[in-house]
Amino acid sequence: MALALRLQKSPMPGFGLGMGITLAMLSLVVILPVVALLARGVSYGPEAVWATINTPRVWAALYLSFRLAFLAALFNLVFGSLLAWVLARYDFPGRRLIDAFVDLPFALPTAVAGIALTALYAPNGTFGSIAKSLDGKIAYTQWGILIALIFVGLPFVTRTVQPVIAEIEQEVEEASATLGAGRFYTMRRVILPMLLPAALTGFALSLARAVGEYGSVIFIAGNLPMKTEIAPLLIVIKLEEFDYGGAAAIGIAMLVISFSMLLVINLIQIWSRRRIGHV
Amino acid sequence: MFDGSPEDHFPVPAARTSAWRPVTQESPLVRAVLIAVALGGLAILVVAPLIVVFAEALAKGAGEALRSLAKPEALSAIRLTLIVAAITVPLNAIFGIAAAWTITKFDFRGKAFLITLIDLPFSISPVVAGLALVLLFGTNSLIGGWLVAQNFPIIFALPGIVLASIFVTFPFVARELIPVMIEQGRAEEEAALTLGASGWRVFLTVTLPNIKWALLYGVLLCNARAMGEFGAVAVVSGKIRGQTATMPITIEMMYNEYFSVAAFSLATVLALLGLLTLALKTLLEWRHADQLAATRRH
Repeated sequence: MALALRLQKSPMPGFGLGMGITLAMLSLVVILPVVALLARGVSYGPEAVWATINTPRVWAALYLSFRLAFLAALFNLVFGSLLAWVLARYDFPGRRLIDAFVDLPFALPTAVAGIALTALYAPNGTFGSIAKSLDGKIAYTQWGILIALIFVGLPFVTRTVQPVIAEIEQEVEEASATLGAGRFYTMRRVILPMLLPAALTGFALSLARAVGEYGSVIFIAGNLPMKTEIAPLLIVIKLEEFDYGGAAAIGIAMLVISFSMLLVINLIQIWSRRRIGHV
Repeated sequence: MFDGSPEDHFPVPAARTSAWRPVTQESPLVRAVLIAVALGGLAILVVAPLIVVFAEALAKGAGEALRSLAKPEALSAIRLTLIVAAITVPLNAIFGIAAAWTITKFDFRGKAFLITLIDLPFSISPVVAGLALVLLFGTNSLIGGWLVAQNFPIIFALPGIVLASIFVTFPFVARELIPVMIEQGRAEEEAALTLGASGWRVFLTVTLPNIKWALLYGVLLCNARAMGEFGAVAVVSGKIRGQTATMPITIEMMYNEYFSVAAFSLATVLALLGLLTLALKTLLEWRHADQLAATRRH
């Protein structure tokens, strides 16, 4: 950790104390544990790590986790942007109350959300029985996992996009209309590009949250190996078998894949910001 | 027919007089559809699960729900969760203030890297966080083995649950404070220092009043997450009934044992706490938007 702490002269006191507390907490809670995880991977040996990951069951779990997290984040990107637009631009009774409710998935503990969604979408639940009458099944299938992941990531896009919509100057839209653009064309060519960087930030946050989500998923997932078993659950199973090396291997694989994905999203974001100019 | 008024010669199109709308608005039909989709989606995705929690808890009447909350298992879970939050939240607030002070009041190299490290827990799965803590402090690790020998076990005990809760709530307070403190600058503090105030006095009488609502906002979010954390705590707690089972863990155990009313009653307590958090948070946003404005811009 090469934090080059070259302090420029400042009359402000408390640098030592502030930095001390910050680094102490950061090291104890975050850095040392993550280093311990990576160190366990190293001591387990690259071949053993690869052998753990390279099994059909682990690949299936990783593929399931990342694929469904991506789909959920995609849904949230579209629905969250729509929600942000409606809340920022339209006035209707109860708007402020509904605005507050958007954050409910942040405030509701994941285990509570998990059992509630399961009760709702199980074959004898309110929505599950509708699906059953149509010969469908939601809970204990990948659809159930998708719904749980949509739930936990729902507020991210709305909360990043909404302030940007509020700051758009209407002159821009008027100018577009004066030049002959229809409303849809203005939306597509003027407004959406302005929202894109913020929407991508929300998408990345939603994705990161969904990839690692555990509490809300395990109840509704059914947890069948190869079918509805998510990667974090596989870590828990390895730990219960006292297979610490195996657990570390899957944990490292998750870290590597999520960081690569976030890196790609960051690059897209830099590109879109540069293309559109400052937003 | 023609009385010479200009309207007869240049009739204004009917559509523009009756349904005139600014060019920056969608047609009423589009509006209505968008609002309906947004509200319908929110009702199905967010409101329905909340209602189900209450409905399932009251499935056998309020008496049964209350009786299940009075069981020792539920009571000890509530007590443990309160203890965990009472340790986690102040520690996190101290860290958040220290980090925000260091980052916003001083210029040093590696600042961006430090901010990235503080945000890191947001992109790590809670289960992986719990696993990392087990590998560092578990009985078969170097530090963990020594601590157990000193009769201070961390994993499968309270310290581990607290560490896991701090990990998952790590950036909450700092992230709320940093934008607010950047916006407020350093001039007020520098003026106070010039007038001879001590560092602590500057913090308590100049900085703290400026950031108190943002701090409260961060603390609220941190508390809600600390009380509700499941994944990370599930890994480090060992789920020992009556000892290391927090409220979310107990909900899981009750649910898996088909004590539906008991599970949903305990879930109702957490859901009410979530609603209270939401209400306080919304109140802060309405009344102190000026101080929180920076935080909503991300």
